[in-house]
Amino acid sequence: MRRLLRSRLLWIAVLVLGVAAVLPLWLSAYVLGVLTAGYYFGVFAMSWDLLFGFAGEVNFGPTFLIGLGAYTAAIVNSRLGLGIPWCVLAGVASALIGGLLLAIPALRLRGPYFGLVTLVAVLLLQNAIVIFAGVTGGEIGMTVPDVLSLSAVTNYWYALAFLVICAIILFGLSRSAMGLILQASGQDPMEAQALGFNVTKHKLMAFSISAVFSGMAGAMLAFYMGAASVGTLIDISIAVQIIIAAVLGGRRTILGAALGAVFLIGANELLRPLGQLNTFVVSALALAVILFFPDGLLGHALHRKEAK
Amino acid sequence: MTGPVRLEVRGLTKRFGGLVAVKNLGFDIRAGEILGVIGPNGSGKSTVMKLIMGIERPNAGLVKLEGEDISRWPSHRIARAGIGIVFQHSRPLRRQTVLENIKLALLPDSLWRLAAHPEVDVNARSIAERVGLGAVMDQVPSALSFGDLRRMEMAKAIARHPKVVLLDEPFAGLAAVEVAAFSELIKRFRDEGRAVLLVDHNVKSVAALVDRVLVMCLGENIAEGKAEDVMSSEKVRHVYLGGKLEHVGRREETSNAQEHLLEVAGLGVHYGKAQALEKISLHVHEGEFVSVVGLNGAGKTSLFNAISGLVPYAGEINFRGQCLRSMTAGAVARNGVVQCPETRELFGDMTVRENLDLGGHHLPASSRARQLAWLFELFPVLEERQAQMSRTLSGGEQQMLAIARALMMQPGLLMLDEPTLGLAPVILQQLSSALEKLRKTVKTTILLGEQNVTFALPHADRIYVLEHARIVWEGTPQRFVAEMGAVYFDDTEAHPCADLQ
Amino acid sequence: MVGLQILVDGFAISALYALGAVGFTLIFGVSGVLNLAHGGIMVVAAIIGWFSANELGAGAYSSAFFGILAGLAAAYATYLLVVRPIQRSRAIPKEETEIFVLTGTLLWGIMIQTALAYKFTDNPVTMRPLLSGVVSIAGVRTPRNEIMVAVLCWLVIGLLWLFVNRTRAGKTLLAASMNPRGLTLLGFELSRVHLLAWSIYGVLAGLAGVLLASFLGTGSSNTGQLTASAFSIVVVGGLGSVSGSLVAAYLVGYLETMTAYLLAPTLRPIPALLILVLVVYLRPQGLLGRR
Repeated sequence: MRRLLRSRLLWIAVLVLGVAAVLPLWLSAYVLGVLTAGYYFGVFAMSWDLLFGFAGEVNFGPTFLIGLGAYTAAIVNSRLGLGIPWCVLAGVASALIGGLLLAIPALRLRGPYFGLVTLVAVLLLQNAIVIFAGVTGGEIGMTVPDVLSLSAVTNYWYALAFLVICAIILFGLSRSAMGLILQASGQDPMEAQALGFNVTKHKLMAFSISAVFSGMAGAMLAFYMGAASVGTLIDISIAVQIIIAAVLGGRRTILGAALGAVFLIGANELLRPLGQLNTFVVSALALAVILFFPDGLLGHALHRKEAK
Repeated sequence: MTGPVRLEVRGLTKRFGGLVAVKNLGFDIRAGEILGVIGPNGSGKSTVMKLIMGIERPNAGLVKLEGEDISRWPSHRIARAGIGIVFQHSRPLRRQTVLENIKLALLPDSLWRLAAHPEVDVNARSIAERVGLGAVMDQVPSALSFGDLRRMEMAKAIARHPKVVLLDEPFAGLAAVEVAAFSELIKRFRDEGRAVLLVDHNVKSVAALVDRVLVMCLGENIAEGKAEDVMSSEKVRHVYLGGKLEHVGRREETSNAQEHLLEVAGLGVHYGKAQALEKISLHVHEGEFVSVVGLNGAGKTSLFNAISGLVPYAGEINFRGQCLRSMTAGAVARNGVVQCPETRELFGDMTVRENLDLGGHHLPASSRARQLAWLFELFPVLEERQAQMSRTLSGGEQQMLAIARALMMQPGLLMLDEPTLGLAPVILQQLSSALEKLRKTVKTTILLGEQNVTFALPHADRIYVLEHARIVWEGTPQRFVAEMGAVYFDDTEAHPCADLQ
Repeated sequence: MVGLQILVDGFAISALYALGAVGFTLIFGVSGVLNLAHGGIMVVAAIIGWFSANELGAGAYSSAFFGILAGLAAAYATYLLVVRPIQRSRAIPKEETEIFVLTGTLLWGIMIQTALAYKFTDNPVTMRPLLSGVVSIAGVRTPRNEIMVAVLCWLVIGLLWLFVNRTRAGKTLLAASMNPRGLTLLGFELSRVHLLAWSIYGVLAGLAGVLLASFLGTGSSNTGQLTASAFSIVVVGGLGSVSGSLVAAYLVGYLETMTAYLLAPTLRPIPALLILVLVVYLRPQGLLGRR
């Protein structure tokens, strides 16, 4: 039965991918731009889902990792003039190190405290960026000399390819033996320990993977936008949107998170004419999802058989 | 044939704050042997399991696995060294199938492995077949019966051929037919050469299954040896029954035989799949003192919680002719059905007086004062310690406070769940005389749930015996003494229970 | 002298923080909720108060009253529309309820913030102080209003203490934070107790918002900062400990004032964050916490 489901999922995914790949033939540069941002956001959300849905840890500050990746890449690019690949690598390294520094002590904490610490990490990063405005451009942000491409279509395909590769890797991980151990660690750490698994080690691994992908996506996004700023990458509202995207799409589905992200970014754009109010509507929508469809779009659609 | 010693425990001690859960415990388990640990509630049995498995760290003493000291190892290392544990409550991965759950138990603790070795699948299937899950391998836990869920837990524990298997209450919640099947399964573990440690409340099933028995009480080893010897020891019977069963005088007043104050019919309670109560029917007359007697796990607390409206149930419960089902738990209490639970549920950081005042909250001020005065007369020690934090009271004082607080509500029916739990014999005397005084001064209807039969007998007008979620006997205290003296230890299949169901 | 200035200003600001934090702790203790819409409730009160004064022409005291009323309404809305439905939802597994409530209140807070910004812009508003004039305390020129804020905060905290520890209704709240099942067994309806807790919280947060508006001014852009301050203080003091919140409020309040005066006003929020990190790692239960 589950094999059938998976292949159905696979065919749908291939179909969606096919459509997405040829969209540039019809859509305007503006819409492509929105989707491009959505795809990067999708990687943010998928990384978050791996940590929450699988390792059972709620990261209230995914933008800490994203910000580290983006800003490090941006600074290395503008100060040291290295090429994009090196800068992205630097961003990933920075996110990984920062993430581990945060996670190693934080994973010792239970429940809401872990979430609080991740939130504090974001606030600290935000303040640090503002304080060291000379290097980071402070609240206004900084521009990045190199960009991925000037063509909207090329950028779109870069983003799509990136999303697909990350999705394959993250989804594959979630279905692997490692994914099974992670699920056990998240759902029932005591039982996982009793079955012989070093839960802390596995959660750190999950955090590292989340950090690597978030950092990479953050760096790529900075090179796409040609700029990095607190408002677009680090602010709490961004963090909330990532969480909402994953919940909207369906916790523990990985692919649902990508769906939720694209949907959310799209909704944000559609509602742009409302001005300030668009955040209100999106938040209200997200709240409604939490109240009435906590399993999310994909979660509902797949009719997961779960014990309540 | 028993083999070499697999597990050694010496001088094991564990304290939780001021409470000593395990005191200087020592025993051995050999390969090919089943050791059963029994004892009343609070004796420390589950803590011992947790200490061996590394879930709790001992304060003193050691645990050796085949000569190696594992007492301070982390759980996962102990598991890999060859100890498997089946917890009291099933802990499946809810979103995975049975097969995947078992595969998990076979996976190595590797960070990098993405694909499991093909052998894992083969092994998992054979293990599933061995424990009897062959037919349901591809189902998710929510679709399984309770018995099958427990089988899956066993499968996970023995997946890597552990040298020692720890079973925490393997029979809890099982239907009678399943108990036999599980006993066979456990015997097979032993015959495969493993050392098996078993903890359970079901003394009869344990006695039939194990090679040796260890009896714990208040954290200490009080008896050890072959099952038959231990079971017939006076000391052990005392621990369970509380003392000699004596004849008691009948109450002078006869109760009103027509009206039932409390009527329970066809009551059933399930926790998930575990069956806590099945087709329970009992009644209490106004002014009666009814004792429900049974061991831990028999279902007394579930009975009280169902009546109080704290857990969902099937069946009918009526009080003064009114159906209690539609009421909230708070409403049930306000209507006169007051429970004094096993855990007492006192407000620890409030004084004795404040606890009592909260009990009398719904009374008008004048009655409250009168009620308080009466209760202080009944329990003088509470008056002395009015201003003391209830958390700092002794066990006996806390129990008296809990009962007094319940009495502040002027209950129509007072339900007491295991008031003697953890109390010393001298306190039990005080409690007993307080109850006697209570019955003499005010016509209170009492439903008492107790494991300690000596305490439950003297004041009772009628007795029900609850065993494994069913009522197996009903009658007067005299008849009880005559017939049920050996109820917990001997085979009691031949009892006339049919007409009670 | 700067030192005395810090002492005086710090005292008033800390008192204000204390008021907000006590409310935050109360809700956590009784309802088990970390309300991330806290700042939103405070700012609603502030803005409605300002609105009644400036646009509707109400007097200083009446507009303060309206502001507090608005805070109460916002608190009820938070509980009845967001918190309680999530807590009672059967579609959410029990272990995840806490996280969902947290996220839900966060979203609700953002909704409040953006709605206020839309209707009233995010410029800070100030309310006319209830007392005018300036006094001199040991050479430091202090507005009378600032003294009043501090006094009022402590008065209310004192009244709350009396309520919880000396009245029968208040003791039910205390009991609920210790042992909700115990209360149910004594015939209390927990739903009523929760409503009482949220009512008190609404008044406290509303008052804190109104006083903040009259003392320093506040606006919708502050909501996040206010929530962050409150939960930092409560975690540092110890979740569930009222005395802990009071101590932590003063610790944070004084550190912030010192930072603002001695280093730079922009660095103001830093000390609280650093202390939070320290506490969470070294003593997660907080200074005086017991949970």
